[in-house]
Amino acid sequence: MARKTMTLNLSDAEMAVLEGLCDKKDLSKTVLMRQALRLYQRVEERLEQGGKLFFEDEATSEKSEIMML
Amino acid sequence: MTRRPEVTPVALTRFDTKTLVDAELWDAITEKNLADWEAKWTPQLLKLLEALYDQGVERALWPQSRHWDWRAKTRAIETRLDQQCFAIVCEGMTQAMMITDLTRRARLAGQTNDHLVYVDFVETAPWNRREILGKPPMFTGCGSILIRAAIEFSKLEEFKGRIGLHSLPQANSFYANKIGMTDLGQDPEYQNLRYFEMTPESAEAFINEGA
Repeated sequence: MARKTMTLNLSDAEMAVLEGLCDKKDLSKTVLMRQALRLYQRVEERLEQGGKLFFEDEATSEKSEIMML
Repeated sequence: MTRRPEVTPVALTRFDTKTLVDAELWDAITEKNLADWEAKWTPQLLKLLEALYDQGVERALWPQSRHWDWRAKTRAIETRLDQQCFAIVCEGMTQAMMITDLTRRARLAGQTNDHLVYVDFVETAPWNRREILGKPPMFTGCGSILIRAAIEFSKLEEFKGRIGLHSLPQANSFYANKIGMTDLGQDPEYQNLRYFEMTPESAEAFINEGA
């Protein structure tokens, strides 16, 4: 699949988070950003359809809604 | 789908002569594939269902994929980045199709919560399915090629070959024995279908085996 290159400007804090996630998930920055974009698109699509995003605690079944910016 | 697919040469085995036949793996499901499904797969599947009905075979044993509408499935994910389609074409006809999802996480101990390629849907053409034909298929190898494609896609995405899927009952043995996936048992949250997962090690073993 053909790919296009872009430059991404991040603050030190943002870069630290990106690098931390890359280390944790053993992924390159490119792959991690692509994965984030996929997830963002999916969540946005569901929200547009009227859905809500929740995290559920497996042990207590307690749900907390994630507010998307 | 309008994107022109990238084509990878592969080979299927013609069952009656046991000879290899040139085929193509496409990284998309195109209008041609959907037309093949509508005009060729669906009528043949209906004939097979009619034969199963006439033979008194219980509905539970009919192919579960009979309800799948590939046109609707592909239309629903047309602009989605998290799902990737594949198709196998041989002798001008679509022989199998697959949709994968990149947003699922692994469940197997040792790779829990790691990214993987989840095989959402995979189906081979009715004439290649020995379990519903009750007679030899035309081509074999579609399932293995698509699983290999999912593994390679997983490696490309730096998921190291990890893949996962829920198996329809007719395919449990294929994934466990031929592909070498780990059976994590029935999933009560997914129609009680068995969930299978592949580790980077088992993926590598499968690729090297050349099955």
